[in-house]
Amino acid sequence: MCAAEPRSPLSVVAVPAHPMIAELPSAIVDIAARRGRAGDLAAAIRAEFGLDLPPPGRFAASGDTTAVWIRPETWLVMAPRGAEGALARRLVETAAGAASVVDQSHGKTRVRLAGAAAPRVLAKGCRLDLHPAQFGPGQAAVTPMAQVGAVLLQRDATPAYELVVGSSYAVPFLEWLTDSAAEFAGTH
Amino acid sequence: MHRIDCPWCGPRDEAEFAYRGDATVRRPAHDAGIDAFYDYVYTRANPRGWHTEWWHHAGGCRQFVKVVRHTMTHEIAGTGKAGDSLPVPAE
Amino acid sequence: MIELPRRPRLRTRKGGHVDRDRSLTFRFDGRAYQGHPGDTLASALLAAGVRIVGRSFKYHRPRGIYTAGPEEPNALAGIGTGARATPNSKVTTVELHDGLVARSQNRWPSLALDLMCVNSALSRFLPAGFYYKTFMWPAAFWEKVYEPAIRRAAGLGRASALPDPDHYEACHAHCDVLVVGSGVAGLAAARAAGEAGARVILAEQDFLAGGGLLCEPGQEAWRQEALAALAALPNVTTTLRTTVFGYYEQNMLGALERVADHLPVPPAHQPRQRYWTIRAGEVVLATGADERLIAFPGNDRPGVMLAGAARTYARRFGVLAGSRAVLFANNDEAYGTLAALAEAGAERVTVVDPRPLGPAAAAARRQGFEVLAGHEVTGGHGGRGIYSVEARAIGSAGAFQIDADLLCVSGGYGPAIQLASQSRTAMRWDDRIAAFVPGDAPGQRSAGGARGCFGIAAAARDGLAAGQAAASAAGFAAKAAFALPEGDDPDATVAPFWEVRARGKSFVDLQHDVTTADIRLAHREGYRHIEHAKRYTTHAMATDQGKTGGLVGAAVLAEARGETVAVVGMPTYRPYVSPVTWGAVAGHHRGRAFAPIRRTMLHDWHARRGAEFMEAGLWLRPAFYARPGEAPWDAILREGRAVRQAVGICDVSTLGKIDVQGSDAATFLDRLYTNTFSTLPVGKARYGLMLREDGMVMDDGTTSRLAPDHFFVTTTTANAGRVMEHMEFHAQTVWPELDVQFASVTDQWASMSVAGPEARRTLAKVIAGLDISDAGLPFMGVADATLAGCPVRVFRISFSGELAFEVATPAGYALAVWEAILAAGAEFGIEPYGVEALGLLRIEKGHVAGAELNGQTTMRDVGLGKMAKKGDFVGKVLAGRPGLTDPARPRLVGVRAVDRERQIRPGAHLVEPGSDRSLGWITSVTRSVEPGGWIGLAMLSGDADRHGQRLVAAFPLMNEAVEVEISSPHFVDPENARVRS
Ligand SMILES: [Zn+2]
Repeated sequence: MCAAEPRSPLSVVAVPAHPMIAELPSAIVDIAARRGRAGDLAAAIRAEFGLDLPPPGRFAASGDTTAVWIRPETWLVMAPRGAEGALARRLVETAAGAASVVDQSHGKTRVRLAGAAAPRVLAKGCRLDLHPAQFGPGQAAVTPMAQVGAVLLQRDATPAYELVVGSSYAVPFLEWLTDSAAEFAGTH
Repeated sequence: MHRIDCPWCGPRDEAEFAYRGDATVRRPAHDAGIDAFYDYVYTRANPRGWHTEWWHHAGGCRQFVKVVRHTMTHEIAGTGKAGDSLPVPAE
Repeated sequence: MIELPRRPRLRTRKGGHVDRDRSLTFRFDGRAYQGHPGDTLASALLAAGVRIVGRSFKYHRPRGIYTAGPEEPNALAGIGTGARATPNSKVTTVELHDGLVARSQNRWPSLALDLMCVNSALSRFLPAGFYYKTFMWPAAFWEKVYEPAIRRAAGLGRASALPDPDHYEACHAHCDVLVVGSGVAGLAAARAAGEAGARVILAEQDFLAGGGLLCEPGQEAWRQEALAALAALPNVTTTLRTTVFGYYEQNMLGALERVADHLPVPPAHQPRQRYWTIRAGEVVLATGADERLIAFPGNDRPGVMLAGAARTYARRFGVLAGSRAVLFANNDEAYGTLAALAEAGAERVTVVDPRPLGPAAAAARRQGFEVLAGHEVTGGHGGRGIYSVEARAIGSAGAFQIDADLLCVSGGYGPAIQLASQSRTAMRWDDRIAAFVPGDAPGQRSAGGARGCFGIAAAARDGLAAGQAAASAAGFAAKAAFALPEGDDPDATVAPFWEVRARGKSFVDLQHDVTTADIRLAHREGYRHIEHAKRYTTHAMATDQGKTGGLVGAAVLAEARGETVAVVGMPTYRPYVSPVTWGAVAGHHRGRAFAPIRRTMLHDWHARRGAEFMEAGLWLRPAFYARPGEAPWDAILREGRAVRQAVGICDVSTLGKIDVQGSDAATFLDRLYTNTFSTLPVGKARYGLMLREDGMVMDDGTTSRLAPDHFFVTTTTANAGRVMEHMEFHAQTVWPELDVQFASVTDQWASMSVAGPEARRTLAKVIAGLDISDAGLPFMGVADATLAGCPVRVFRISFSGELAFEVATPAGYALAVWEAILAAGAEFGIEPYGVEALGLLRIEKGHVAGAELNGQTTMRDVGLGKMAKKGDFVGKVLAGRPGLTDPARPRLVGVRAVDRERQIRPGAHLVEPGSDRSLGWITSVTRSVEPGGWIGLAMLSGDADRHGQRLVAAFPLMNEAVEVEISSPHFVDPENARVRS
């Protein structure tokens, strides 16, 4: 339908590349249960996507679809970028009135940070304790880092993390992240 | 720097929250009159001691969290969701 | 051949923790010296025979090195050159490196000859509080005369004015147990907690771990073993050169790690300093004890030094601070200095002890030291160093001289309670050691010297117990203990001896030049409370926080009050225990990263087009696009003219956007806005006003209805966050029963305003799937379409007063849509326009913005009173207060300079000619396209209808008075015909 591929928010200003960091072009949709409909929504999502909407502090994944808890009865659903608006339309159909669905595919930017040094990179701006005993695969948090609101989730024990930030903050956030990771560029 | 136990997110730094004042005042009915609204907006007890107040978890779950805090010692006796009624310790 | 006078050898041949096989060259005040790895700048200067290292703050008295650690009050120097110059560094904590450059401070023109020393002669005119008393009158003299003079005379070092070339970073750390200090108690505590399995951070401010153990050759093996054991524990992080400077609520502590201060230049990708925020489950404060001075005349002279410091220089650095020494001490612990000095080669040490002859003194006599029991020191002689010490038997008037080049002083030891005090832990006065001792608090315990547990063996046992207790409190069971240092526990009992009453200046705070007389003066003038006396005299308020003399000052005040120190107490300590550089506080967030910069998805296009950017909140927005050689106002007027006469396009992506859904969404918006949204048809937009509950206007914007239960709300750029929070507050706490969900979609949608008489013809060329004729999309209509193959939502709304469309598209397509519209509009003369032209257009049209909606205006004030609906909404009741409905309140008008080219300014007051009574003020101004010349919006007293009247816009700051004509704020198309065309 679209003549042009959407541009990345990271293209408006050059941000240096780093081997531990990569953008994950994604469809990202905010779903918030309508009042009293969280159960219906959970059942519908389970039936359609094969995943259980997670409780606070967690994310759930099925195939290439991930749902992260971000607010009470509100989740971010993420998948690799497909046709414009497709994930949001699928969620509207699935929720069938049990949720308010908001496409954020352009409004949020998702990046991956992976490597043994990743916790030390994040410690330069993230106030959470990322020690394996405190934060591990499957866990997620909404927390500001380096003055930017972020959704953080830990994908595996590498450790590999994913970070989701507002697109207009993507450049300053990535500038901080690459700056913080610079000392580990050769050691990841 | 406080650590505030968000009922949704768990313990987080004060830096993630915005202080939003007295959580014991209730918005009056729309026909309650100017005096009632005046009290709602302006009149505050400013206690020395335990105080139930709003802390907006602006950097996290965006929820208004109720916090029972001692205004002299900064001790936090408890936190809860917006609809919770929290016990306030005796002095 | 001339025989040079033999200089005493100041560096011992062996022993201590310096590497004599390697030499480091450094410069102090331009002269080159040599030191060794392991030296501090202080030990290297002492080894080189340098005695005077600075001048004092107020009296410019010569000062030497007083301590061997971070408690140093005197020896501050500027370290480094150029952009890396750092003032006020304590030479006692500066780690020597090759090529280090240091400068003394507070001297002019030179250290030896200081002309400001005249302050010392004038000192009886510089008593405590003299700033407050002397320079009060006449007021006009303050700025021009007094302050510059004081600033030249007083103050510490100078910061570099150049940008800091280094980088700094923040680090957030978490642990089960934080141990502060790596003396014997800290090492034992960290090891006990670490072996129990707890996550431990051991923070040491020094560049070597060990604290007092570094002066105990007999315990070196234990120190080494303890460090090896800690290094073998993966759950223990030992961080050297790290000063814990602040203890905040709930066991959050701040620390500064000097990562590269001991290197000439930080290594690649390494910060110079790291600012740690540590969240600890349990804290063990093993900060040791500080030795305190005794107040006597001349106790600040170069050559006077704390006894423990002289011992540290001898034992740890192998440096003899003086060969003919006097030890003036009231405690047995200080006698340990005798052997250290003797071993380091001192010719002679004489003891002056105010106590009657006791066992320690007797033992010293047996070892051959002269001991004057029952004596006190009444002064030291020598301008640039001690030549002789004056002493007398207590109670007798006859003083005598002792030939000496070093005077070691010890008034006893007190726990280093700064951190415990910051955490508001209760302090208890301990008569045994004459000091305040911290108690334990939840999650916090002090150990070893930090709680008055003196002696290596005792401190080690105490540290072990504290480490085990902390680990246990954090949920880790203690493991079998390890061997601890052995030794006799000394008798730490001490009778306080604060002061020798004799003629001359006796200092209690050497850095701020506070004397015992100043404390007594403060008391006489009514500053009886310790917190008041502290502020009046500035006692203990310098960068050393009074670690050596704080308690002595409190004791002098106590004596003046006729009470005990226990009653008088100590002031509460505040962060920072030691100074912290601004660079470290800022970390990554300086320069362009001071705050995150938000950019729209068209940012690079704007930059290529030559936009001049301006900040709007965190956003960068194009102010205008000047062509080569074009003046800013010419560009702005050209852009404005394009909109009035042809077509313009403006990036308005920064406007706040909120998606609101739910079966109660309309009810929710009805309650938050002065308008009614429940009656808004789907496919329509409406301008809305939001009030604060106090009745003042909070924000404005358009709200569109996309479906019966789905709205799209816009806010101003500045208030987007505030409006979101306002919605959250009401949805969560006031009306939790409503079914409403909302999300910020500011970043999801890029939006651009296409405005001007040719806007429709421009868009019609490129838009698909939508009839944008006035019938197809009437004023305030909203519809979806495609443009350049991209999905767009078209809003027929106008801020400029012209026919206009706002085109929104998912942000990733912004550039494609923008360029397609520009290409389509080329034949009509389309121009991109920036924030300045946007402002010009809205002022001409009389639309209010942030300058008018400043939180102090009501809907009626800004001419929108008729937007208030009948039913309830936030702010309705209080907006009806008599004071806010007074018809005489200032209300929105237009102003136009009578002489069209005379500039008017926002902030100017409107007065009648010849009057100085303000009738109101100008809020926004611009040069205009229509009607031409300088125009503005103003808030003007509503006591009379002044439309058509001439007033004066007075701007006294620039001595301007401009005649203006008052009019309706709507300079352009007041009938609103154009927007509906
Ligand atoms: Zn939260």
